[in-house]
This record gives sequence, structure tokens and C-alpha cells, in this order.
Amino acid sequence: MKRLKKFGRNLYSNRIWLLMTLPGLIWFAIFAYLPMFGQVIAFKDFRYDADGFFASVKNSDWVGFENFRFLFSTNDAFIITRNTVLYNLLFIVLGLILAVGVAIILSEITKQKLAKVYQTGMLFPHFLSWVVVSYFVFTFLSMDRGMINGFLEHFGFEAISWYNEASFWPYILVAVSQWKGVGFSSIVYLAAIVGIDRSYYEAAMIDGASKWQQIWHVTIPMIMPIIIILTILNIGNIFSADFGLFYQIPRDSGPLYSVTNVIDTYVYRGLMTMGDIGMSTAAGLYQATVGFVLILIANYIVRKVDEDNALF
Amino acid sequence: MKKLMMFFMVLLGVTGLITGCSNNEESNAQGENSDETVELKWYLIGTPQPDTEKVMEEVNEYTKEKINATIDLNLIDWGDYDERMQVITASAEEYDIAFTSSWANNYSLNARKGAFLELNDLLDEHGKEMKEAINPQFIEGAKIDGSLYAIPTNKELGQQAVLSFNNELVEKHNLDVSDVNSIEDLEPLLEVIKQNEPDVTPIATFDAYLPFDFILQGEMPFAFRLDGNTDEVVNVYEEDVTMDTLKTMHDYYQKGYIRSDAATSTDSWPLEVANWFVRKELYQPYAEKVWSRSAGYEIVAQPLHEPYIFNGSVTGSMQAISATSQNPEKAMEFLNLLNTDPYLRNLLDKGIEGEHYEEVEDGKIKDLPARVEKFNMPSFAIGNQLILKLYEDDPEDKWEAFEEFNDKSIPSPALGFYFDTNPVRTEIAAISNVTSEYAPALLKGAVDPEEYLPKFNDKLYEAGLQKVLDEIQKQYDEWKKQHGE
Amino acid sequence: MANLSNVSSQVKGRTITQKEKAKKAAKTYNPYGFSGKTNIFMHILLASFSFLCIFPFIYVIIISLTSEQSLAQNGYSIFPQEWSLEAYRYLKTMKDQLLSAFGVTLLVTVLGTLISVSIISLYSYAISRKQFIYRKQFTFIAFFTMLFSGGLVPFFIVVTQFLDLKNTIWALILPLAVNAFYIIIMRTFFQQSVPEAILESARIDGAGEFRIFLQIVVPLAVPGIATIALFSTLAYWNDWFNALLFIDNPNLVPLQSLLMKIENNLDFIKQNSMMSQNSSLLNSIPQDSVKMAIVVIATLPIALSYPFFQKYFVKGLTIGGVKE
Repeated sequence: MKRLKKFGRNLYSNRIWLLMTLPGLIWFAIFAYLPMFGQVIAFKDFRYDADGFFASVKNSDWVGFENFRFLFSTNDAFIITRNTVLYNLLFIVLGLILAVGVAIILSEITKQKLAKVYQTGMLFPHFLSWVVVSYFVFTFLSMDRGMINGFLEHFGFEAISWYNEASFWPYILVAVSQWKGVGFSSIVYLAAIVGIDRSYYEAAMIDGASKWQQIWHVTIPMIMPIIIILTILNIGNIFSADFGLFYQIPRDSGPLYSVTNVIDTYVYRGLMTMGDIGMSTAAGLYQATVGFVLILIANYIVRKVDEDNALF
Repeated sequence: MKKLMMFFMVLLGVTGLITGCSNNEESNAQGENSDETVELKWYLIGTPQPDTEKVMEEVNEYTKEKINATIDLNLIDWGDYDERMQVITASAEEYDIAFTSSWANNYSLNARKGAFLELNDLLDEHGKEMKEAINPQFIEGAKIDGSLYAIPTNKELGQQAVLSFNNELVEKHNLDVSDVNSIEDLEPLLEVIKQNEPDVTPIATFDAYLPFDFILQGEMPFAFRLDGNTDEVVNVYEEDVTMDTLKTMHDYYQKGYIRSDAATSTDSWPLEVANWFVRKELYQPYAEKVWSRSAGYEIVAQPLHEPYIFNGSVTGSMQAISATSQNPEKAMEFLNLLNTDPYLRNLLDKGIEGEHYEEVEDGKIKDLPARVEKFNMPSFAIGNQLILKLYEDDPEDKWEAFEEFNDKSIPSPALGFYFDTNPVRTEIAAISNVTSEYAPALLKGAVDPEEYLPKFNDKLYEAGLQKVLDEIQKQYDEWKKQHGE
Repeated sequence: MANLSNVSSQVKGRTITQKEKAKKAAKTYNPYGFSGKTNIFMHILLASFSFLCIFPFIYVIIISLTSEQSLAQNGYSIFPQEWSLEAYRYLKTMKDQLLSAFGVTLLVTVLGTLISVSIISLYSYAISRKQFIYRKQFTFIAFFTMLFSGGLVPFFIVVTQFLDLKNTIWALILPLAVNAFYIIIMRTFFQQSVPEAILESARIDGAGEFRIFLQIVVPLAVPGIATIALFSTLAYWNDWFNALLFIDNPNLVPLQSLLMKIENNLDFIKQNSMMSQNSSLLNSIPQDSVKMAIVVIATLPIALSYPFFQKYFVKGLTIGGVKE
């Protein structure tokens, strides 16, 4: 009873903040938490019932972890998990370095007008769908008419059947993904850098710091909170891959599966014939749960080091 | 943590309130008067057309008078239909009729999971005329364990793969295609084309034809043989005929008859561009006329086999009544009218006379621009094709030819056997992945079958092929017992 | 990090006067930036990278201007054999549809961004303040939704059955209105760029929290807000999935969804050999050059609107003066 009273008092004294969060809270309740009960489908052999979705869920049989089995049952399971995790780790590290690097350069070069032009340019790939990008990549790599093979043959080398040679693809995929993403992800960092009070740099300059020292001792520490937060969040997605990148860019070419098959493409291909909602829900739940655990761990570590930068 | 729990409780409370309210609203909406005109909600595959509303006004006037019902037609685009219908069905939205088939909004999966109403009795009660109008093979073949779940469209019954040739090239080089009955027979012709026509790719990329009755979609390995022991389910990729055919394809590939990036290319080989010599198509009577018309030059066809009636061909285009339908009888009455009444059927297909089409001599018709631009309906998906008006350049006996074609079509061994994938869904997911890794390149000839088929089969077994084969055989034997010989 | 915020309030004492600023602006030499060779090298680096980024778009434009015949003969090429305006002529026949789709996209994007930025800023400001004792819980509530969602079907039921938004523009706006990812980024921005000291003095002057938010916090956080606004504008502009699920009315179909439909249809028909009998269907679907022409008109307006947002990234600098 007493606790409830205290709770009530707390609510009242925080009313202004609660009011601010209210619109967001309602949205989360309706669009995120309300549909979340649908996750039980992952543990059901889902059948339709004419009386509505709830009746369908209620009347479907429990099957335990049966719907999850296809994610672990074969040798491919190891390959797809390995691919997903390794690519994502690479994307996180490389993506961070490139995006922060580009943001710093953009903020430091003279002729800011030109900087804006570069920045606008770098954003373009973000607008092209993976399908369009895959056409583009294909013009370079096509066996018969590809530009690269054209060059190779021109200089007396043998043409390469790019879509059959798995060894090139880790590089191609990483390059394409960074090319498409860096313009976009550098925006956040640029906004953070721009928000840094200029007087820090003045102080640093008075102390005789060189440009590189300024970057290292002022810029990077100042944007560290945002770097940490974004990295923690990215770690949560380590088990989910960008479907378009891994499906459209290699053109679903079989010989490349050993380096291009990731969890998302595996699930897509596996369920194409059956369209099983139970299994697709199970796959999503599996990816989210692993991501959730990883974030908690990452957050725990960050909190140990510096509480202010932790997510919660 | 305690605070956190408290918050979730509050959140759940809010959620519960919202849920509670809406549920009440819903339950009030039911129950209705039988004298009132009912509105039937119909989902159909196809690109939404600007003039749908205009035509539907006329349709509704007619159906209101005939069966006291109006139609709310919803067209959903080709590429979206499958996903949309899956969500609509799973959310148990109330609708009455939906297009279903073997290739979009999957018929047997949905029927087994309870999405559609069982129609046996309804058909006898409210669909007598329709039952007579539709070739009985369709209705028998579409029954799943004795129950019909959707009304098949009356059209060509069998499925027949043909090789079609660019006749200009055939004549130019004095070739004789009348003896071509298999992919192997193509060799000498391809050689001539390759040598004399540098701008032409002899083969417009296609998957090799394999003589099997496939249980699941296209490339998946499970099938029954069409000749010999037809009662035993086999792995297609272990059959001798597969090895031979794929060797031929790979031979063609190496000789440059097939585009070298065939396995990953997504070119659609549009007919209007005459840069090909032979391609593979599915046939229906007078199809070469249609192809020639859209190509702008003559195309001739040679069959690869007799027309077979597969599950896929009888369930190629159907209309199901939803399990959530509030007016199943009316829906059946409408389908009955649609499949038997030429006026209604043509109105929904060709549009309004004088606006979308005009009549020329002896009952034949001609499209007006408005039909192409504003009311281009997916004819084969709507219903009975054999009561459609003929176009001015259609042969007089087009529909008779269809009936003849249907009569000579041979039932495939597993016609009417619908495999329930549920017990082996884990294995099928794995096998799907292995199949899409190997099959496309093999079937298009891009890789050497002697090297890749054994690898492929090893991986198939690793993924649980034997378990699936056993399950299919078990279900098939049970089905066979029930249906007798 | 905690140390830095202390430093921050100390350094703030050092004021840059307006005059000094004006002087600096007048000079071309930028004492804050790179110097000499490094600068030139960086320019070359960025210029070549941004060319690499724009290049595919140029390429898309070239394909949209290539004749269907040469596309079929030679595939995509940067130097087409035959040029053609056919694709754009075709688009002209779709003018009404395209204009209406453009209108829908514009309305949804503008309205959606406004709603989205308001909700997100308020929420993330609240959870960035130490006075709010439930800030951790509310952060968690937001964060949790980044990983766990309900799946398509329950979401569909919520929008169509509980909210009854099918075939309204709200079905395009509301599902994208809040994004936990942006909330958490924004929270970090507020923590970084809005020092508590300024707010304290305003509170002592008797200003209410909402007034403080509007008059002090928002101006200070302009770069962050502009970032979120940009993200949400892009998200609305590029969204096609909600339209696929919830929109049947052709008058409410947005631009990207029009493009996706064409892509989906092509894929679908190519994948289904059953459909090849009906080759007239393939003919009714726009071919590649038209598809690319649509990419051009769907992308160009939004890509070129970026400088509008860029303006605010710079504004953050000069507003620094307000901080004192």
C-alpha cells in the first residue's frame, strides 16, 4: 500500500516528463507492444480459424521448439550463422571507421560549399534500391558484357566468371555495402561534430595542438557517446543481415552460397515453397533474442567502464 | 527491475483496454437479414484498372437483379498478391471470394490450414449449372482428400511444354523443325544458327524439360515418373534421364548455344526482339497465333510431350470461398453465374460494349483503346474461359479446339494427390535451400552434371531427403488406397 | 566523459564576440580546418568517392534514355547503341497517376516528418533528463521495440481492425511515426548539447518545462533535430511496404510503391512459367527503361532536397552564441 502511494507520488511529481513521453508511449503500446503477442505463433503449428486471429492462435497446437529446428538442423546452419556474424562484425568496425572518418574530413576541409556537394553526392546510393544497385554491379561483373572482363580481355588476361567464383565475393559485398551506407551513416556523426562547441578547439589551439591532435583529443572524445550508442545498437542486429545485399547483389547465384548465404536469405529460400508463418516468426524471434542478449552484455560492459554512456 | 515490472503492467493495462473496446465493436456487426442485398468481397490477382469502378457498376446492376448481391471487387497487383493474401487470411479478415492457385495464394496449403470453405455440398446446391459447364476432370483433380475447396477455371486442362521457334530463321536457313521432339533433336539446327547468325543466341535461356510429375514447385526434387513405375516417389536428380538431359544442356552451353551467364541472368527475352532461335513455352490451343501476334513475326511450336493433367494445371486458376465468409451461399451463386452466364463473364473480362470493345461480324469482337489502357483484366484468372467472346482474328473453332485438347490430355500419376508438407517442414526448408543452390545452374546447362549432380544429391540427403521421400510415399500409398484404382 | 561536461561549462566562459566571428567569416582561410596539402588530398579523396556514388545514378539516367531494342540486344550499357525518349513518353501517359502518387508522397512525407519529429523529440528529451526518475524504464520501453516486433500479421490486425486505417493516409503515416533508434540517437544529442546549467537558470526564472523545451532546448539541438527530421523524411519517402499492405485505393498509392509494384510484378511474372502462356501480360508491364525513368523521378526530388537539411547542420555553429 505504502509502495503504491509512493508510486503515485512519483508519478505526480514526474507528470511533466510523463506528459512529454505520452504520445510516444501510446504509439509504442499500439504499434509495438500490442502486436507482440503474435510471437507465440513461433511455438505453434499455425492453422487458420474463421473466428479470427485470436481463435487461430488459441486453437493451433503447441509444438515447442519444432519451428526453430530448421535454423539448426543442417550443416548449412553453421555456414549461415558464421557468414551473418562475420559480415556484420566487419560492417560494424569498418562502417564506424569510414563514417566517422568521412564526417571528420567533411567538417574539417576548407570550402564548405564543396563539402556540401560531396555530402549530397555520397547520399545518392542510399536512395537506390538493392535491385537497381544489382543491375549496376552486374554491368561491371557480367561474364559476356561486363566492363571488368572487357578490361581483362583487352589486356590479355582471361575473363573471370564473377558470379561463379566465391572467393571474390566477401570483398565485393563489403565494398558495395560500405559504398551504399557510408554517406548516410556519416550524417549522424557530422551532426554531432557540428554540435561541438567551437571554444574547445580555440582552447586546444591556444595550447598549441595540431589539427590531428585536435581531432584526437577534442572531436573523437566529444562524439564518443554517439559512437558508443550506435555501436551497441548495431551489435543488436548482428544476427540479422540486409536481405537485399546478400540476395540481389550476388543475383541468387548458387555457387556463391558458401559466402553469400546468411540467416535472412536462408529463411527466405527455405520458406518459399511453404510460406509457413510459424517458422518465419521463429526465425525472427531467434534473431531478436540473440541480439537482445548481446546488447545486454555490451551495455553491461559499457556501464562498468562509464555509466553515462550506457544505453540504460 | 521492480519499477520496470510496474511499468510493463501499466502498459499491458492500456493495451488491454484498447483490445477490449475493439472486440466489442466487432461482435455487434454480425447477423443480418436474408432479404437484404448482400455485398460480396472478392480478391482477384491483377493490376488495378482505372475503369474497374465503372464496369462494376454495370456488373452490380446485373447481379443485384439476378441473385440479389453486389460485388466489391479488389484487384491486387501480381507481385503483391501472395503476400497480401497471406496476411489477410492469417488475420482472418472477413471476405467472401479469393483467387487461389498453385502459384499464387497457394491452394493446397491454404485449404489444409483451414483458410477456405469446403465446397462439395454448396456446389451441389447452388452451383449445379456451373458443375456441368466445367470439365469434371478439373473438379475431381482439385479435390484434396475428397473435398473441393475452390472452383477451378474452365480452360486448357493439360499442361504441355513445347519448343517454339523463330520461323523467320527456320525458313531463312531451310530448316525442318517437324522432327524435333526433344531437346537432343535440336543439335543440328542449333549448329546452323550458331554458325550463320552471330547476332542470335540460339537458345533463349530455359530450364531443361524433365518428364516427371513434380510434387512441389518446379525445381524441388520430389516427383513421380510419368512412365514405368509411376507409383514410386523418386528424387528427380538421381534419375538417368535427368543426367542425360542435363549433359545435353551442358554440351549446348559449352558450344555457346546458351548465354554464358544463363544461370544468373534475369533477362526476360521479350518476344518483340528477334534475337533468339528456340525457346520453351507452355502450350494451349492456338498459342502460336497469340505469340506471333505479340512478336510481330511468325512463331511455330513443336510439342515435347503429350499434354498431361497435373495438379498444377487443374489448380492453375481457381476461386475459393473464404472460411470467414458470412454469405457462402451467395458467393457460390455468384460463382455459378460467373462461370455460366456469358453476359456477366464477358462484362467482367472485356468491359462495356461500345466503350471498351466493339462487336464486329458474326459475334466476334475487337478491343477499343480503352480496354487496353483502362480495363486490361487477367482473363484466365476470372473464370470459365470457354464462354468468352472471340476476337476478330481468333479461329472460329478456338473453344472447340480447347475441348479437344482437354479430351486428349492424360491424367498424371499423382493427379489429385496433395502432399501435406507439415510433418517434414524442417527438412523441406533445408532442401529448398540446397535446391536453389544447385538446380538453376544445372537445369540451364551452366555447370557439368557429372560433377555437380553427385554433389547436389549428397547435400540433398544431408538435408533430409530420405525422410521426405518416405513421408511422401506413405501419404501417397494411403491416398491411393482410399481412391482405389 | 563526465569530466568533459565539467570542462564544457568552464570553457564556455571564453566568449567569441560577434565581431571576431564576422572577421573570421570574411577570411577564406579557415583556422579550424585542414591546411595545405592535407586539405587538397582530402578534397580529391572525397570528390572521387562522391563521384563514385553519383555515377550509378547517371547510369540509371542513361538506361532510362536507352531504346528497348538495344537493351534487349546488348543489355545495360553505359554507352548505349541507340538513345530513345520512349520511356519518358510512356511516363507522360501515366501523368495523372504519377502526379497523384507524387502528391500522396509529399503529403505523407511532410505531415509524417512533422508528427514524427515532435513525438520523438519530446520523448527523447524527457528520457535525457536526470530529473525524470523513470528515464531508464522509458528508455528500455523504446529500446525493446527495436529488437522485438510483433510480426506482420498482428501488426496488420492492429492497423486494419483496431484502428481501421486501411485505405487512409494515416496507414502510411502512423506506422512510421516513432522509431526507437531515432529516439535513442536523439537522447544522446540532448544529453550532449543541452547542458543542465542553462536549464536551471531558466527554471529559476520560472519558465515551465514545455516553454524551456521550445525556447531553449530546441534551438540548441537543431543539428540533432535536423538529423532526425532528415532520417524520417527519407523513411517516409522511401516507404512502399505500408502501401503494399494497407492501400488498395489507386489514388492513395505513393511514388515508391508504384515503383516497387512494377519491380515486383516483373520478378513475379518472370519466376512463374505458368504465366508465360499469357505473354500479353508481360507486354502490359513497363519495360526496363521505363522502370529506370521512374527511379529517376522518384529519387531526384528527395536527393536534391538534402541541401535544405544541410543548412541546419551549420546553423548549430552560430547558435553557439545563445548558449551563454
